[in-house]
Amino acid sequence: MSGETRLKPIKIEDLLQRTVYDVDEEPHIEIKDERGVPKELVLLCPCGCYSMVGERLLYSYEGCLECGLCRVLSEPWGLRWEYPKSGRGVQYRFT
Amino acid sequence: MSSASVPSKFDVIVVGAGPAGSSAAYLLAKAGLKVLIIERGRGAGSKELYGGKIYAPPLREVWPSLDKEAPIHRWVNRERISLVSGDRVTTIEFKLGRNVAFTTYLTEMAKWMAGKAIEAGAILVDEVRVDEIVVEDGKVVGVRSGPDTVYADVVVDAEGVNRILLEKLGLAEKIKPETVALGIKEVINVGNKAIEERLQLGEKEGMAWFIAGDVTRGIPGGGFIYTMKDTIALGLVVHVASAYEAAKKGELKQSLPMMLEKLRIHPFFSRIWGDADVLEYGAHMTIEGGLRFMPKKLYMDGLVVVGDAAGLLLNTGYTIRGVDYAVYSGKLAAEAIIEAFNNGGPTAENLSVYEKKLKSSFVYKELVKHSGITRVMEDPLFFTKLPAIVNSLLSKLYEADYEEPTILEAMFDSFQEEGVSITRFLLKMLQVVSKL
Repeated sequence: MSGETRLKPIKIEDLLQRTVYDVDEEPHIEIKDERGVPKELVLLCPCGCYSMVGERLLYSYEGCLECGLCRVLSEPWGLRWEYPKSGRGVQYRFT
Repeated sequence: MSSASVPSKFDVIVVGAGPAGSSAAYLLAKAGLKVLIIERGRGAGSKELYGGKIYAPPLREVWPSLDKEAPIHRWVNRERISLVSGDRVTTIEFKLGRNVAFTTYLTEMAKWMAGKAIEAGAILVDEVRVDEIVVEDGKVVGVRSGPDTVYADVVVDAEGVNRILLEKLGLAEKIKPETVALGIKEVINVGNKAIEERLQLGEKEGMAWFIAGDVTRGIPGGGFIYTMKDTIALGLVVHVASAYEAAKKGELKQSLPMMLEKLRIHPFFSRIWGDADVLEYGAHMTIEGGLRFMPKKLYMDGLVVVGDAAGLLLNTGYTIRGVDYAVYSGKLAAEAIIEAFNNGGPTAENLSVYEKKLKSSFVYKELVKHSGITRVMEDPLFFTKLPAIVNSLLSKLYEADYEEPTILEAMFDSFQEEGVSITRFLLKMLQVVSKL
């Protein structure tokens, strides 16, 4: 037991390395209109797929865990949201 | 779906090889019907994520061989509830007198359930995403994936919580943030010996542990720990609408995965796993308040809706029952479909039997009985204040250097510090207890 060792939190980028993906060449989710996608997703997306670059909200699909949170919080016209096709995307093993 | 070995017309198509879909497919195939299961993932289970424990009795009704054959990790023998305020933790532990629920990976369990359906004669086609439920003349006639359509007399929609197909069909409205919670989870590679030693568990014994308090930083929800065979599932569930509100107000200071990481390195809890490897990280949406999530109708001409897609999950705040509810709804759907085929076909009228069966089953009755709890549990008084008051009270009693207060003094002081009136609190508790 290493109760005495000081444990450090793992950053989301490193946490996602523990999960297996088969990333599709094409994104299954895309921002169609930023005004219909809340910026709060930068904090709320469980895989950190949303980020602000300057004033712009960007989305990268590679680490997506397909939970659907952004779909619930966005306007239907803000996002194109689909599950990955052909079995691609996250490949859960122990969940 | 252009594969030559797959016929183009089935009695039943099941969309989704999860617990609800595989349960329905198994019973339908066993009754001699031609059943096709379509799964978007690579094999059944690869898109599944849940907390960690399954109630066995409803599953035994579908698969009597469950206890002998299923990939059961541990039978839950110990339930713990912890209230956390910073470094202070109050824990209640209950040792069960009999086995009711077991822990397992849903990825493994879903594979087992789909395997039973295949054994019974169902065909599973994986890596195919259904894009649309096809309707002709007001009647569901099949499903479409890309350019391919497959036909069936009945479609069982077991697509899960993100009910994209039902929304397209107009049977369900867009999900409201109030009605869902987000679960995130880490799987920690602790090792079976260490799990058993550190949590004082026997070889096949497991623990389910609910954690309330400031682990969710004031957002209604909580943490959970489940012991698997060799690993520990550690996670958080947060109410989506509340998390969104907190983020908008700037009250959410950290991301959700960071919140979970803070729990993993919490000085009290981390003693169980130390610096053991995190094997996997994942997220999945769950339902908060099944009845609010439920579509207006669970059937139409040629269609029935089961499992999460139908809102059939019980979330009391401290425990979530989804898998057994899903399996049981699949069973009721299969029974209704078989009866419909025997009574002239799967018309809306004949399939309405499914809803009738559901409404007289424990699934629906439990959802109604506990329907008030969601709103109560969403009250910050419950999630933030109660743990703070309990820990403050106990710290006054046990952390006194010289002079200990009386219990009554400590109680009044604790309530006052947290700014909660004792009468309001007692009324609230009464409300909670009456709705559980």
